[in-house]
Amino acid sequence: MAAEPQGVALATGVMAILGMGAVTYLARVGGLLLMAYVPPGPGVSAFLKHLSGCVLIALVVPTVWRGDVPVWAAVVATGVLARTKKPFLAIAAGMVVAAALRAL
Amino acid sequence: VDAAPPPHTTLTRAGMAQGAREVLPAAPAVVMMAAAFGIAAGQAGLGVTLAALMSGVVFAGASQFVALGLWHAPLPLLPMWVATFAVNSRFMLLGAAVSRWLSGLGVARRALAVALLTEVNWVQAVRAEQRGETDAGVLVGGGLLLWTLWLAGTVTGVLVGPAIPNPARFGLDLVLVLFFVNVLVDTWKGPGDLLPWAVAGAIASLPPSILPLQWSVLAGAVAGSLVGAWRDGR
Repeated sequence: MAAEPQGVALATGVMAILGMGAVTYLARVGGLLLMAYVPPGPGVSAFLKHLSGCVLIALVVPTVWRGDVPVWAAVVATGVLARTKKPFLAIAAGMVVAAALRAL
Repeated sequence: VDAAPPPHTTLTRAGMAQGAREVLPAAPAVVMMAAAFGIAAGQAGLGVTLAALMSGVVFAGASQFVALGLWHAPLPLLPMWVATFAVNSRFMLLGAAVSRWLSGLGVARRALAVALLTEVNWVQAVRAEQRGETDAGVLVGGGLLLWTLWLAGTVTGVLVGPAIPNPARFGLDLVLVLFFVNVLVDTWKGPGDLLPWAVAGAIASLPPSILPLQWSVLAGAVAGSLVGAWRDGR
């Protein structure tokens, strides 16, 4: 198939995407593979016990750290309202705060 | 520390339905973010076929946006694959964190159950485990609905184009982070979390000149968990 002078040929694009899919699946299954070969023990258990919280922190903190005032305000609003155990209320409140501050 | 036998994990249709129901409230945000990707993909020169293929096969937003940045002829295949793996390497941690919970399933079902693993359905699995549930259907059912929404939003974005409003206007770009914040408040178990969380947050926030952005989640989470495990073992 002839490609446009500037364009990406369809076959090359498909190949690029299939490769992306393959390495992404490798990452998705990699954690299971890894844990199947790591011998269980108290250290591994302790590591896994902390892992979920640390993943969430590593996802949230850089966004907040590099964010602007609407982002900070939204995170504070959701964080405070999260204590009500009403997740939809907490998340909606954060979105409304961010949208309102951005509209100013 | 934790010598309990592995859970008797199941994977039922009822669990999948529950997982999908849990995702429903997030549907508008997922579709809007996918539409934003579709618009960007259209502008980068991907037609609807390639954009849909990427969303269907890769199903990982951040890495898809990174790939668009590299989308020009001739396609830099190897750098694109390396960047994709780097950005998505955090999935290994998600998988590791639920590996014990999934260990009751056979190898083939486990390998299939993580095919649509994202942060959202991973959180669903973590919370199900916290509640003492053993049905991995929440992970799969949540993933299937997220995947469908992601694909539908992508196609809409390419076809409708920039007429779709920017999700940031409605705060929809923050839904994922706010969802994580909400779960974090529940995950907090006490002052013992302070040290590992501080280390994870600090490492993940290092400037890109020291720690490239695509590794920040992996490095931060591993560092924090290692420090936590070391402290617990003393």
